[in-house]
Amino acid sequence: MSTQGDLLHIVTSDTISPRRVRAGRVLVWVAGLGFLGVAAWQILFASGRVPWGFDNWRPVLLAYLVWATALCAAQVIVRGEAGKRTLFILPAVLFVVSLVVFPLLFGLYISFTDWNLASQQGMQPNGLNNLRQMWNDAFFWNALKNMVYYVLAVFVEYAIAFGLALLLNAQIRARKFFRVTFLLPLMLSPVAVSWMIGKSMMEIRFGPLARLARELGWDRPSFFGSPEVARFMIMAMDAWTFIPFMMIMLLAGLQALPKEVIEASKVDGASAWQSFWEVIFPLMLPVSVTAIVIRVIFKLKLADIIINVTSGGPGGATDSVTSFIFREYRDRSNVGYGTLLAMVYLVLIIIFVTLLLKVVARFMERPQ
Amino acid sequence: MKVDLYNRICAAQKMSRRQVLKSGAALGAVAAMPKMSMAASHGNLRAEILKIPGVGAGSPTDADWQKVGEMVLGATKANVSEGEFAGVELTFMGLNNQNLHNFLFRGFLKPWEAYTGAKINWIDLAQADYNARLQQSIATGTVDFDIIEMGAPFEGDVLGKGLASEMPAWVREQIDMNDYVGYLQAPVGTWGGKTYRVSIDGDCHTFSYRKDYYDDASMAEAWAAEGDGSAWEAPKTWQMVQKHTKFLKGKTDPLTGLDAYGYLDPLKGWGGFGFYFLESRATAYAKHPGDPAWLFDPDTMKPRVNNPAFVRAIQDVLDVMADQPADQINADPGTTGFQEFLAGTGSMLSWWGDIGSSARTSDTSVVGDVVGFSMLPGSDDVYNNATGQWENTPNEAPNMAYIGWGVYVMATVDGDAKKHKAAWSAAAHLGGKDIALWMSAYPSGFQPYRNSQFNYDEWEAAGYDRAFIQDYLGSNLDSYNHPNAAIEPRIPGIFQYYSVAEDELAKTYAGQYASAQEGADAIAAAWDKITDQIGRESQIKLYKASLGM
Repeated sequence: MSTQGDLLHIVTSDTISPRRVRAGRVLVWVAGLGFLGVAAWQILFASGRVPWGFDNWRPVLLAYLVWATALCAAQVIVRGEAGKRTLFILPAVLFVVSLVVFPLLFGLYISFTDWNLASQQGMQPNGLNNLRQMWNDAFFWNALKNMVYYVLAVFVEYAIAFGLALLLNAQIRARKFFRVTFLLPLMLSPVAVSWMIGKSMMEIRFGPLARLARELGWDRPSFFGSPEVARFMIMAMDAWTFIPFMMIMLLAGLQALPKEVIEASKVDGASAWQSFWEVIFPLMLPVSVTAIVIRVIFKLKLADIIINVTSGGPGGATDSVTSFIFREYRDRSNVGYGTLLAMVYLVLIIIFVTLLLKVVARFMERPQ
Repeated sequence: MKVDLYNRICAAQKMSRRQVLKSGAALGAVAAMPKMSMAASHGNLRAEILKIPGVGAGSPTDADWQKVGEMVLGATKANVSEGEFAGVELTFMGLNNQNLHNFLFRGFLKPWEAYTGAKINWIDLAQADYNARLQQSIATGTVDFDIIEMGAPFEGDVLGKGLASEMPAWVREQIDMNDYVGYLQAPVGTWGGKTYRVSIDGDCHTFSYRKDYYDDASMAEAWAAEGDGSAWEAPKTWQMVQKHTKFLKGKTDPLTGLDAYGYLDPLKGWGGFGFYFLESRATAYAKHPGDPAWLFDPDTMKPRVNNPAFVRAIQDVLDVMADQPADQINADPGTTGFQEFLAGTGSMLSWWGDIGSSARTSDTSVVGDVVGFSMLPGSDDVYNNATGQWENTPNEAPNMAYIGWGVYVMATVDGDAKKHKAAWSAAAHLGGKDIALWMSAYPSGFQPYRNSQFNYDEWEAAGYDRAFIQDYLGSNLDSYNHPNAAIEPRIPGIFQYYSVAEDELAKTYAGQYASAQEGADAIAAAWDKITDQIGRESQIKLYKASLGM
């Protein structure tokens, strides 16, 4: 056992023979080549270039698992104690690579094919055709335009959520009761919301909301009949579900504010509005930005309510990108094009969120 | 039979003490009868199975399904010896809708398993997952089932790819295929001249209308003043449907006292199924008696959805949109059927036959006593796609929407003679003539599909109300056996075509296209794209095969 080196982090520093190092490397290489060999052979078999192969891809998966195990074992064989440290993270890395990175790359490949599940030829690469189709697809651009409206609605939701958070932060009666009550919509699945509210309460003949609207003088209420009203109703149902989420985040932020600062502003004679606008709001910016960004990400996935209530109608007025992809992918089995749309949407989301974070970073800088 | 119809009859016929005694005596007699004598008295078999559990004796249970399965085992015994399939394991993929379908099949097949020695494993699917599961199995080459319950529209996807096993001659005899109603005869269930399908269900759209509208004296008077001089009676053509719908705007519903409406169009998509409803409006215009094709040109796969016949049907919808209820743009077929028509809104509707039974049984239905049924309306003229001209000859073309469920055996069993016979025997057991009668008389999720199921005497003897059965089933029977029935193309991806058509129709109805023609052209363009993607040549080949050309 060595008495030199990084004794704080390494309990033992093994003396590893060159033969053991070689054995470890051979193990990895043999397993790796085995995996590549099996995979390559199966690819050749699947593409009809060799006459025999496995019935399914399971042996390739097993070869991958053997290689992954060998890689982990080799860490210890080659590097001893230091290798054991690697083992804390390596299986997780391999797991992520297997379940996230590989499917992503595979998805990327699929998105440049014309794969329609009903096609006799199966999956055929088709270059940039899917991109061209997307470029000329009025349904996609319409859905993207709708997404802009939906995302802009987040700011209105934010204002309402902030107001509610301020109320629940104030010394009001039954504060705990209201906190729990206001959280209830968040506990409902959007699917339940779409059926209970969109399909039942807003049912135009017997729904209680329709009856109320008639009582209030709207003769023939129609909640999803015109594009604007339908879009607003979808926004409202989605907002009703998720405003509590923003509210609870903002409430947590409000409760964490340093009381001294607010009290100091009062001592200095600030009015309630000044105290809010000059002190509370700026201090809440980091929490606000986090709440808005997370909510925007939620919003970009909006689909369930739309699919259940309007199917994207009337005439595409409420379609979201996700609900459109759902129709393209599930109803039409158009896997290639549907995947490309999802990939493009992913890229757009990454760009959008990155830009959003860059912009808001300017407001969020804190004095060091 | 659909659950609703059964419940209605149970409710209508409230169990009397006399009936209880009769049923009890009958059951006792059945129980006391030796097996041999039961098998021998095939003439009585049909009457006997209708007593399981007996009309008015509550919904059948697994024990009843097993009993029925046991009683109809005679046909299997004629072709299979006891224990012949010992050691054979089969996988059956089907639906679990309303706890029917596979649940019944399990019970029916239990005695079959006991007799033959085979074992069946089950894959139960929700309706919504069915298409995706099937398509993925086909596309990824992972057909992990030997027998499948499948709708005829998917035959293109499955039979067209050679994934199913051809029906042996003995099965054809066992199930008596000549008894099938007209439209379920070949070419449905066949592909390239070979037979694959054991039918267990029939489907078609029929026309439901409100009799009280046509019995109402003030309406008749108003029609005499405002109408075209024709009699005030249930419309027989789409031209009249249009006129009545426009006429009814502003009138009062004789039943509910609310606004009266005419025909109800579902203007919102329904996962592809909504397109059937435009088809129902179009078939009388588009399905020429001299041409089996009506949705595509079989030689080129050129869509006919933008020909003058379909454009007229779309225009018909546009013409009466303003005369329909306020939120109609957001009404899917579920809304038009259940939330509108059955709830007393609107007077005319196209729907699958079973809406008729719901009219009498559903808790929310208020039209049970005032509803009448007929075949879909016809037309005063018909479009001839070959000549490109309208012909002034009256035409009828009921829409056989979805064609109905069948049982298919997969090619996975073809390499193993024992398994092959076992799978076909199981399919034949479910598709037998006698079991079919029971399935149409009790809740099963299936409609009648054999001529022998329309023997109203049998229904009456079993305790059903003849007038109701005759009216409700009669409209189905007329449609099924119509010589000019419009059968949908059984080609791969047919629901992709329907789904994209729904999207374009929604835009058309929302006024985003300048005309019906423009909307129809957009559908045709989208359909061409799908055809090219799936493979035009193969689609042409498969379409012709499905038409028996």
